[in-house]
Amino acid sequence: MNKLKLNYTSLSFLPILVCIPLGYQLITNIHFGGFKLFQEFLISAFNPKIDNEIIITVINRLNETILIGFFSWLVSIIFGTIFGILSSNIFYIIFNIPNFFYHLIRFFLTVVRSIHEVVWGILLMQIYGINFSIGIIAISIPYIAVNSKVFAEQLETIDHKSFESINEINAPKFSSLLTLIWNPIINTFKNFGLYRLECSIRSTVILGLFGIGGIGTSIFLSFQTLNFRDLWTYLWSLAILIILSGLIFKKIKFNTTNKILSIFFIAVFFITILFSFLYFLYFIFNNNFDNFNSVSSLFKTSSDFGLFDLLKLILETIILSLLSTGIAISLPPLVIGIFNNKTSKIFIKIFAFLLRLIPTPVILLILLTFNNPSLSLAALTLGLHNAGITSKLLFTNLESQNRRNYIAMKSLGISKKTSWLLGLFSQQAKSYLAYCAYRSDIITRETAIVGVIGSVGLGWQLQESLSSFAWQEVSIVLIAYSSIAIVGELINGKIKSSLT
Amino acid sequence: MNNTLLELKNISYKYKNNLILNKINLKINSGEKIALLGKSGSGKTTLISVLNGTIKPTQGEVKLFNKSFEESDRKQKSKITTIWQDLRLIEDLSAEQNVNCGLLAENNFYFAFKNLLNISSFKKAHKYMQLCRLHYSIYDKKIRKLSGGQKQRVAIARSLIQGSNILLADEPFNNLDPKLITTIKNLLLENVDKNNTKKYPKTALVALHKLDLLNDFDKVIGIRDGKIFFNIKRTNLNKLHLDKIY
Repeated sequence: MNKLKLNYTSLSFLPILVCIPLGYQLITNIHFGGFKLFQEFLISAFNPKIDNEIIITVINRLNETILIGFFSWLVSIIFGTIFGILSSNIFYIIFNIPNFFYHLIRFFLTVVRSIHEVVWGILLMQIYGINFSIGIIAISIPYIAVNSKVFAEQLETIDHKSFESINEINAPKFSSLLTLIWNPIINTFKNFGLYRLECSIRSTVILGLFGIGGIGTSIFLSFQTLNFRDLWTYLWSLAILIILSGLIFKKIKFNTTNKILSIFFIAVFFITILFSFLYFLYFIFNNNFDNFNSVSSLFKTSSDFGLFDLLKLILETIILSLLSTGIAISLPPLVIGIFNNKTSKIFIKIFAFLLRLIPTPVILLILLTFNNPSLSLAALTLGLHNAGITSKLLFTNLESQNRRNYIAMKSLGISKKTSWLLGLFSQQAKSYLAYCAYRSDIITRETAIVGVIGSVGLGWQLQESLSSFAWQEVSIVLIAYSSIAIVGELINGKIKSSLT
Repeated sequence: MNNTLLELKNISYKYKNNLILNKINLKINSGEKIALLGKSGSGKTTLISVLNGTIKPTQGEVKLFNKSFEESDRKQKSKITTIWQDLRLIEDLSAEQNVNCGLLAENNFYFAFKNLLNISSFKKAHKYMQLCRLHYSIYDKKIRKLSGGQKQRVAIARSLIQGSNILLADEPFNNLDPKLITTIKNLLLENVDKNNTKKYPKTALVALHKLDLLNDFDKVIGIRDGKIFFNIKRTNLNKLHLDKIY
């Protein structure tokens, strides 16, 4: 009997097997109570409400979203760069600092980014109440840690021989450091930093669902009141904002040889740092910390929370992450491979865009119109949203790939689907899986969002504990969350390094 | 008066249980032009790396200006310049920015910053690039877009601009055509430019494969399996010596 041989291509499709248990649970949970609502929701997409009143609301809400999104992006990209340098090995080699500090700062950043911005937002709202700056701070904290990881990874690819060469010149240490890191930093900013603005806007929208303001709050309120036409007005305006921001950044060329532009960027860099520190001081001295006393009990140890309950929630969160990751990995290549023609591709791209656009809590609420809350439903929600993101990457990579092999296979009379699989996708499978390994880190963190909305796992428990001000439980849930995310990140790091 | 600039005392270097350098003793005196001969893998590059402090020896002592290398300050260490076999240029920077990197040791952080922003003066860099016969059209080109020979000359220009006393070079004439070899050899070893003004590193240790270039050196060192087999005046070199190392 032939043995099944696993390669990167087959490994990209294998995770779709998660759909078997997932599909079974979804079918058993189906109900027909909300089909009419779902139908109304779909129809409203083509008939959004457009009048003066809603347009003014959209403009005001988008303004808030842009401001929170932009400032959180700016702060997180600048401090992410600084922490990226501080958590890269090149810094410790040049300054001859013991490795202990390298591991310490890395661990600290891992813990910070293991907690999703929504969780940071909810915690900060409990302490300081709802205000505009909470949104910026809540997004900036984990984003700084996420950005620093990407910058540090890029800095660690610096050729050791370049370092030896600069070191041998015996230049001042700061000059050596700057000369070595300059281009990797600029390139990472161009390739990754600009895309993070889109992420900041998305996170602002999600935080809006939890009351922080901006278009997210309007989306959530219109969904709660079942005003689907209003809802689609907000969603389409958000789509325009995301598309426009993408187009603007594509047009802007960051020419570091332009003297005026360089001085402008440097000025922005230092002003942001200065302003952030000043604002931090202002924030500390102008807030009463009445609620902080209750939150400080986060660090006390006693709790009624049973170990068995906790283990069950941890297990649910892990299963939720695995199922969602399975969908996010396998669904895009499967759908693109099966519906491999120009018209289908356009529809897939639009559908993927909508999956990225609509915040996960809203997708979950839509799915709840015809399915009972369950772990599978939460996994499907998270999986679909992330499949929207992985499919964008897959499309981009496939379109930029040389088609010689594909054409050669087709000319041999091999079917279009097989030629696509072996001539195109197989060459992308390795890098695609490496990206999915990184994506699964994010999925683990995002389980908090779908959990909070009322389905399963630690996210749900977090919401419950926060609502009842059971701070000891909150602290246990946060530690459990962090631990899962950290272990997940370590495993994914190993997978990613074996793939790259 | 002691005119020893660099000295290796009983130097050994092990890498993954392999003895790459084996009890090397060597003195490099001021003004000497030394050719380092040996097969590929004989330890030439490692010896150069120990001499410039990139590699710490497993055993023995390196002395720079009669002081332990470890105790020497940054200014003293910058008196050594190296041309690496693999060049070790920064691929993302332009040719002129790379040459300007040779001036980092004698300038402050602001200079490094201006160099990266492309707003520093490249006058001095251009002068050395001209000496190395680099055409002005490649000055602002990124290293990765240059040919092997052009990269080689950028590395040489970067090394010369440092104005160091001691030159260590690992196969510096690779990738160069015969005419350029003569030009670069004169630059590296003759100590004066065509206007007879600028002094270049007076002391040089150059790893070589091309034996026809030996005429410009005072001394020849032969190395094999990490051991120095001979350290003699160039005029005393004969076939027997070469048979020992090749």
